Amino acid sequence: MTTTPLLRVEDLRTYFYSQSKRAFIRSVDGVGLSIAKGETLGIVGESGSGKSITALSVMGLISAGPGVISGRIEFTTNGVKKELLQDLGTYVKVANKENRIMEIDKDVLGWERNVERVMHGVRGKEIAMIFQNPKSSLNPFTTVGDQITEAIQLHTPVKSEQEARERAIDWLDRVKIDSPRLRYDNHPYSLSGGMCQRAMIAMALACEPQLLIADEPTTGLDATIQAKIADLLAELKAELGITTMLISHDISIISRLSDSVAVMYGGTVVENGPAKTVLAVAQEAKHPYTTALLASIPSAKNVTDKGYLQAIEGDVLDTINIPEGCRFYGRCVRVTDKISDSCEHREPDLREIGPGHRARCWLYFDPV
Amino acid sequence: MTKTILEVIDLKKHFTSRKGIFSSFRERQSIPAVDGASFYLKENETVGLVGESGCGKTTIGRTIVRLEKPTSGKIIFDGKDITNVPTGDLRQLRGQMQMIFQDLDAALNPKMRIRDILREAINVHHKISDAETDKRIAGLLEQVNLKKSKLGNYPQELSGGEKRRVGVARVLSVGAKFIVADEPTSALDVSIQAQVVNLFRDLQKELGLSYLFISHDLRVVELISRKVAVMYLGKIVEMGLADRIANKAIHPYTHILWSSLVEKQSTEVTRNVRPAQAGSWGVFDFERPVAGCRFAPRCPVYESHGKPAVCIDPSSEPQLLDIGDGHKVACHFPL
Repeated sequence: MTTTPLLRVEDLRTYFYSQSKRAFIRSVDGVGLSIAKGETLGIVGESGSGKSITALSVMGLISAGPGVISGRIEFTTNGVKKELLQDLGTYVKVANKENRIMEIDKDVLGWERNVERVMHGVRGKEIAMIFQNPKSSLNPFTTVGDQITEAIQLHTPVKSEQEARERAIDWLDRVKIDSPRLRYDNHPYSLSGGMCQRAMIAMALACEPQLLIADEPTTGLDATIQAKIADLLAELKAELGITTMLISHDISIISRLSDSVAVMYGGTVVENGPAKTVLAVAQEAKHPYTTALLASIPSAKNVTDKGYLQAIEGDVLDTINIPEGCRFYGRCVRVTDKISDSCEHREPDLREIGPGHRARCWLYFDPV
Repeated sequence: MTKTILEVIDLKKHFTSRKGIFSSFRERQSIPAVDGASFYLKENETVGLVGESGCGKTTIGRTIVRLEKPTSGKIIFDGKDITNVPTGDLRQLRGQMQMIFQDLDAALNPKMRIRDILREAINVHHKISDAETDKRIAGLLEQVNLKKSKLGNYPQELSGGEKRRVGVARVLSVGAKFIVADEPTSALDVSIQAQVVNLFRDLQKELGLSYLFISHDLRVVELISRKVAVMYLGKIVEMGLADRIANKAIHPYTHILWSSLVEKQSTEVTRNVRPAQAGSWGVFDFERPVAGCRFAPRCPVYESHGKPAVCIDPSSEPQLLDIGDGHKVACHFPL
């Protein structure tokens, strides 16, 4: 019996319309990934790669237009499969015209109402999310304790305030906030960034979700606190066996906590596979973007003999002007004469280059 | 013998707060953001300043360029004592020392196009013709590797890396030789960080610049600095050559700081110290009077030595002592 993944995303597309540029920003342009129960999937990518928008699409939190326009998101718990993008087709009409210009017709408000209907009982309860910038993600007007208690009462069978409060305090303790009873009554502004992040983790996990989505949980925090948050997430993973989608541009956090990794660039997944394989510098077969990314991390190993870091030339892909061929062409240093024509004109698809390891690159299979 | 371009002697910057967030019942409270820092910087050298949020590193940077008035101590720039230079004379001084700010959204006027931002910077300090100004701007863009087309853009239309480069171009346009760079690589993607680091390096070589590089990104500081000073709660606790600080640190705090780099395992054999553990992780509590060594409450060495009284005795606060090869440490029980 094959185990169904807890979450399976297929061909997800989330676009935004730019008035000033009169074009679609193709933030997520055909992303597919899957997470097995108990697994941690790390999504690595730089700004503009579409990783945060992918997470927000799964949570149904995209409010700008047109937003999600196609794809499937299958969430399976306790044998019950739920399609989070159900009926999307009835709200969106996509027409491809010549020269790759698209026309998208979407009933944005209708879709939003539909999403609320579908996600009710899922968001916060089955799938919980923690965000970057913990201080600005928490409600500044209520105490952290009350925020956690509210979440518990909303999403768990615990309805009595007394009991919910006790559980909140218990969770504050579990995320290693000192003096949890005192901190319960603090507002976010009285807490440091690291403590706010812990409070958010407590709020997310107190409802015992099936899936935790962590969007840049350590970015913006001090180095020592980053390590502590990473420790905490590792401990909670071991203790609760929680399934996690971890999003970050910090490769060290990803490699520490993930079982499998997906590398995103320009709105698509360019490589995925077991963390050890994808992030191992020694591993030869890899997508050139992953190789370049690993080589540009500031560290003593990456300094050339003249004392320079190996930066990737050029700027991150502007997801309005998606090129015809491979999205990394133009910045890629591994193009060979044999494949350069394909690289320039045809986008490769994601294909297996090793056991459970896939990459989107013409280097690894015959373009013909 | 390279000359010393900047010397900071026992610099203190205390902020007074009236009441509010520090729930003390006193009317006025003094926050010792920088509490006696001393170091020097030679020409064409990069000194890195590291520490966690709230340690005072940005405040030192701002005080050196006189964006804050020092409470006490001396700042000697290029041989001249600038500690109490009157505000009227600051403009001339700023032609030689500049700061690249951390928050570029706040530092670049969102209502001005990049072209105008750079023009303004040049015109404030140099009386040259418009044509000459535009020529200089073109030259600057080339130096920082920014496309000419960006001149017509507003700051909010630029990416993080591009804004950073505009900040650098602006500082260069003034012609300053000494630059305080506050968190120049934070909030940037890894590959853009690498570009910015390389840029700093190139410019230093080309123009003979000196940098005070303030950052909490230990890896970058390690790579770009010759000397590194580690700060904790307003004081410099250890200082020395970058390689030493990164690999042979002897102050317990420095050691913890570097071994917390998530991927990096400390390969040093540390006597009596449990790996990378420090005590409680609360907010820096200025309410709790700090007696003696400020790091004692979090210090694993203090713990493992049975909480010796000398560490928390206010009269024996550890001073920065030279232990050879320019390596200085303020600790009673260095590793």
